[in-house]
Amino acid sequence: MAEPMIRLEGIHKRFGALEVLKGVDLHVAKGEVVCILGPSGSGKSTFLRCVNLLEPPEKGDIYIEGNDICKGPGSGSGEQSWKLDFVRQRVGIVFQQFNLFPHKTALQNVTLAQEKVLGRSSQEARAKATELLERVGLGDKLGQYPERLSGGQQQRVAIARALAMDPHVMLFDEVTSALDPELVKEVLDTMRELAEEGMTMIVVTHEIGFAREVADRVIFMDGGVIVEEGPPAQVIDAPQEERTKQFLGLVLEH
Amino acid sequence: MSEFFHQYFDFTVMGDHFSEVLEGFFKNLLLFAVVVLLALMWGLILALIRQLPGKKFAPLRFLTIAYIDVLRAIPILIILLLISGGIPYLEFIPKDIRIPHWFGQPDPFWYSVLGLTMVYGAYMAEVYRAGIEAVPGGQFEAARSLGMSYGKAMRHVVVPQAVTKIPAPMLNEMISLLKDTTLASVVALGEAVLVSREILAESFNSSAVILAGAMFLVITLPAARLVDVLIKRNQAKVTRGAHIEVG
Repeated sequence: MAEPMIRLEGIHKRFGALEVLKGVDLHVAKGEVVCILGPSGSGKSTFLRCVNLLEPPEKGDIYIEGNDICKGPGSGSGEQSWKLDFVRQRVGIVFQQFNLFPHKTALQNVTLAQEKVLGRSSQEARAKATELLERVGLGDKLGQYPERLSGGQQQRVAIARALAMDPHVMLFDEVTSALDPELVKEVLDTMRELAEEGMTMIVVTHEIGFAREVADRVIFMDGGVIVEEGPPAQVIDAPQEERTKQFLGLVLEH
Repeated sequence: MSEFFHQYFDFTVMGDHFSEVLEGFFKNLLLFAVVVLLALMWGLILALIRQLPGKKFAPLRFLTIAYIDVLRAIPILIILLLISGGIPYLEFIPKDIRIPHWFGQPDPFWYSVLGLTMVYGAYMAEVYRAGIEAVPGGQFEAARSLGMSYGKAMRHVVVPQAVTKIPAPMLNEMISLLKDTTLASVVALGEAVLVSREILAESFNSSAVILAGAMFLVITLPAARLVDVLIKRNQAKVTRGAHIEVG
């Protein structure tokens, strides 16, 4: 088997006395879409944030395209430059709270890092940003500031902003959880298109329907470990573990 | 009662000395302008050093915090006296620097610039810090996730937002600074208070001092009103923002 795009092994993370991740392994192949489900407090968001070292793990190894970006224990600070640069240039992330830059227009949100990090000319960055914003259906909102956009529109700008850096992998951290119900679909549609184009994606979500339809593999996490994983038809529709059944029972009830 | 008015509000005295006092007041304004520019920069530098992450910068952070705390805790008069009464005699410093007469301004002017900048840099560092801490952590995270270095994230994302959150407290500091430029009288800079005090000493009449005070009022009172407007506007913005977040 070829080297997976992302390989995480034995990831441990604690916040003070609280052990949030108790040894989590995950391999993600190129072009694969992995959805992580689980109750709040299960460690799924922390795990996702370990992948791009926003939360450097205490123990464990992370390989991105075969490169060890987190050499075992002791590299806790995670600020050693080349590793961070390497990770951040390959892994894009979209957050629950959008985190758009409020002092920049939609277009500037997407051009800023292209110019300041990748050194693209403003013309080049503009062209790329315009194309991406059109792709997520916001071609008419280029000059708008985030506060004038709906949550769904803001989140789509955030997706375009991450894509502008040409990531090899995209992480989605409960990106629809802060949205009004009627705005969820437009964001999920954007993500669905992205998946169809072959983007490698790790998606932490509560949207069971999305996971069932789009994911190649579903992971159920609870208590800082992976409880169950497999194709959606298996994990969502025929779960083996008691905890998975319980959680899905609660989520699918309504 | 007329004695009282004569002592404080003798318009003849005010009229006679108006141009002298005004000339002094222009020195206050010039001093203010130079110090505001320098202290805004120095304060930002201090605030940014104070925010540097990691163990590596712990000593530098400690020094900066000590500087900010100590300079805010000492009377500015003492700082000015230590500068003007000491630096001129440090002969290892070249004469042009220890007794500066740059841009046609006398050495007391530059001693005052140094002292006030040192102190107001510390005050403004605290204001910047409040602004930086008011920027949601997600902003920094988003910038870092896009590959920006610590410095770039601060420069392009955090600081531009921080400064929009602090115009009112910053303006308050500036009002204080304008008033504190009168402390330069202690190092013999011929500013409004020194000039009016000399008139007081000659004439035993306080009207010139009132005149100097009035000149400050013309600027500081509207500025204080402006602070109020800024605070109200900011509150409105915060309330509106909360609606957006909830809605």
